[in-house]
Amino acid sequence: MSRGARSLRGTSLLRLRVGLILIAMVVSVFAARLFQLQGIDAKAYAARAEAVGLQTVTLPATRGAIRDRNGEPLAESADGLMLVADPSLTADDAQEIAKIVAARIDVDYFDVLERLRKPDSRFQYLARRVPAAEARAVVEELDDAGFEGVDTERDPVRSYPAGDVAANILGFMGADGNALQGFELLFDEVLSGKDGSATYETGGSGGQRLPLGENNVVEPVDGSDLTLTIDRDVQWYTQRVLRQAVQGAGGESGAAVVLDSRTGEVLALADHPTFDANAPTLSPERDLGMRSLFDVYEPGSVEKVLTAAALVDAGKLTPDTRITVPAKLHRQDRVIGDYWDHGRLRLTLTGVIAKSSNIGTVLAADEFTPKELYGYLARFGLGAKSGVGIPGEARGLLPWWKNWSQINQDTISFGQGVSVNALQMAAAVNAVANDGVLVEPSLVKGRATTSQGATVGSDVVSSRRVISPRAARLTAEMMEAVTDPEEGTAPSAAIEGYRVAGKTGTAQRVGEECGCYDGTFTVSFAGFAPADDPRFLVYVVVQDPKNGGGGGSVGGPAFRKIMTYLLRKYAVPPTGAPAPDNPVEW
Amino acid sequence: MSTPLYQPRARIPRLAEAAVERARLTVVPGRATKAARVPFITLVSLLLIGGVVGLLLFNTHMQQGSFVVSSMEEQAAVLAGKEESLRMQLHRMRDPQHVAERAKKLGMVPAGSPAFIRLSDGKVLGRPAAGEPADALRIEPLPPGKPSSVRPRLVIAEVPEATKKDKRERDTGARSEATSRDQDSTSRTKSRNHDRAQGAGRTP
Repeated sequence: MSRGARSLRGTSLLRLRVGLILIAMVVSVFAARLFQLQGIDAKAYAARAEAVGLQTVTLPATRGAIRDRNGEPLAESADGLMLVADPSLTADDAQEIAKIVAARIDVDYFDVLERLRKPDSRFQYLARRVPAAEARAVVEELDDAGFEGVDTERDPVRSYPAGDVAANILGFMGADGNALQGFELLFDEVLSGKDGSATYETGGSGGQRLPLGENNVVEPVDGSDLTLTIDRDVQWYTQRVLRQAVQGAGGESGAAVVLDSRTGEVLALADHPTFDANAPTLSPERDLGMRSLFDVYEPGSVEKVLTAAALVDAGKLTPDTRITVPAKLHRQDRVIGDYWDHGRLRLTLTGVIAKSSNIGTVLAADEFTPKELYGYLARFGLGAKSGVGIPGEARGLLPWWKNWSQINQDTISFGQGVSVNALQMAAAVNAVANDGVLVEPSLVKGRATTSQGATVGSDVVSSRRVISPRAARLTAEMMEAVTDPEEGTAPSAAIEGYRVAGKTGTAQRVGEECGCYDGTFTVSFAGFAPADDPRFLVYVVVQDPKNGGGGGSVGGPAFRKIMTYLLRKYAVPPTGAPAPDNPVEW
Repeated sequence: MSTPLYQPRARIPRLAEAAVERARLTVVPGRATKAARVPFITLVSLLLIGGVVGLLLFNTHMQQGSFVVSSMEEQAAVLAGKEESLRMQLHRMRDPQHVAERAKKLGMVPAGSPAFIRLSDGKVLGRPAAGEPADALRIEPLPPGKPSSVRPRLVIAEVPEATKKDKRERDTGARSEATSRDQDSTSRTKSRNHDRAQGAGRTP
């Protein structure tokens, strides 16, 4: 009995052990497999799992808009789509599909047809940067008609609703969505923002999200808006007036600057020729930049304003100082003449400005040593960047006073032998309008950081006193004589009922090929109104007019149109004070 | 082997044998009380079924919610796209160029010199003037000039003497017409040049 029990016990023990070993073996296989799956191949399997069910989509950040001072959009981003086709599916129904696509979207029917039939291809663009609603409508219509193979993909649209208005400032974007030019490029970091992403599990044919599935979202950070000091309407009007002025005079190019006299904010900065920001590739590359900042030229007689203001400020002369102007002036080996033939004239300093006499200005500037004149012109901002903060701005040229000979001082006093850019010159004349204080011009309202890390904007402009308020007022009164119908060189710049101060400029131009005066001219007009309480400064420059016009006949009317528009738009009534009647001759 | 077990019992005094016999403990026969199994199983099954069905319903509901979310999101995207394109359309309409072209079509011209009425005393500030042709502003770009290769050249062919009379008449008629047109355009060009020459007085 006990022997039988013992053998029974022995067999069960054996069974237990065998079973244990079997289980251990199975478990080890599982463990090994587990290790292989989780330890060795984990990533590959995770990736495969993701490919089946997990979906990652980029949540695009919206690029910030560029707005004018009133919040009107100059550049804005919209959610766009591209239409793409799979020709292997569309080739058979190409005609019908192309008909629907071409009817709804602005694309060429035959172009679409060709793309839909492209052999050996499974991916063709039909249209890029289509507004989302339109693209979806096309695909929906194709679906309803039972055609397959046309789909949409994300393709953000950058649109410039006003076309060429301020295009020179805004710049443009490339087809791949990268900023290429202008403020789009300069403030790219501010505008672009940061894309986010969302990862989630999907199931079903519609790609619905699985509830309680894995879900991971990084929210996108949208780009910030950029507000300019530009007034869109003023910019538009200025561009049209400038275009008419340049084309009317047969000029090569032109620039116009409108400044708020008191704040230095640029209300308009126009260049001609310019381009349509929505289609920059249609314009030649030389028209895509900002001529008003990048190109330099000799300012000519407009600079007489600066010379006269400096002389009055230094107490050397007054507007009534009598100057005897000979018919010709011999200086060193050169002869200086005036643009009109005259005998001996007896002009006051006011008369010299009103009639724009080179000889009179040279004689007046004799009161200065080179160092003094250089000091004043440098403080007016000549030969230095305007402070608007745009990289690539031309510095212009004001020769160092120690290198001046007599003839250098003579020509510099009436604006030859120095070079400026349009904004720089406008800011300099604006110092006279702004009670003698030069304010750096600004294009960005508030403040913004450029890609180079510089902070620019109307909040951070600096200003400095150049001449005394009295000198500024007296200079403005001298400039009023320029628009005088009898005495001045630019009666066409006068505005009925207003006191307008201005100065014409007709300068010899240095040709690109020979590096010398090639017989072409730069004509310009700078002025401000109301003369006794200036609100706006307008500066118009036309390069190489072919009709023989000067600063008064080309720039004057353009100035008048722009200034009239400004006074009306900003509701600036005339001050009503009587105009000064300074003697021009004695 | 079993002998040592009896030893302690042997030491128990015989006297108390009866008491010992009485005091010996015996197992009380168990009372078989069977709890009803059916309610318990029913309860458990109900809980189980309820749980499973509830979970299923919950899951289905979530799934349905997910479908709704998907379709609503799509709808939201479509509507946002529509709003965006409408806003872009609005911005294009508000484009100053567009407004100016519409105004011009309505026959409007830019005003002359600015003037204002002060409401407090009704005084007119500035000198009001009607818009004049000189104030007109060309808002459209000039049409692009044709390249010289596209411009048609006037070809004058001499008609041979031998041509039939009626045909010659027709031909010469056409030619003289073309020539007079040409003369017209020449005189126009001349007058334009004349204008330019007049406006050529240089002022600085």
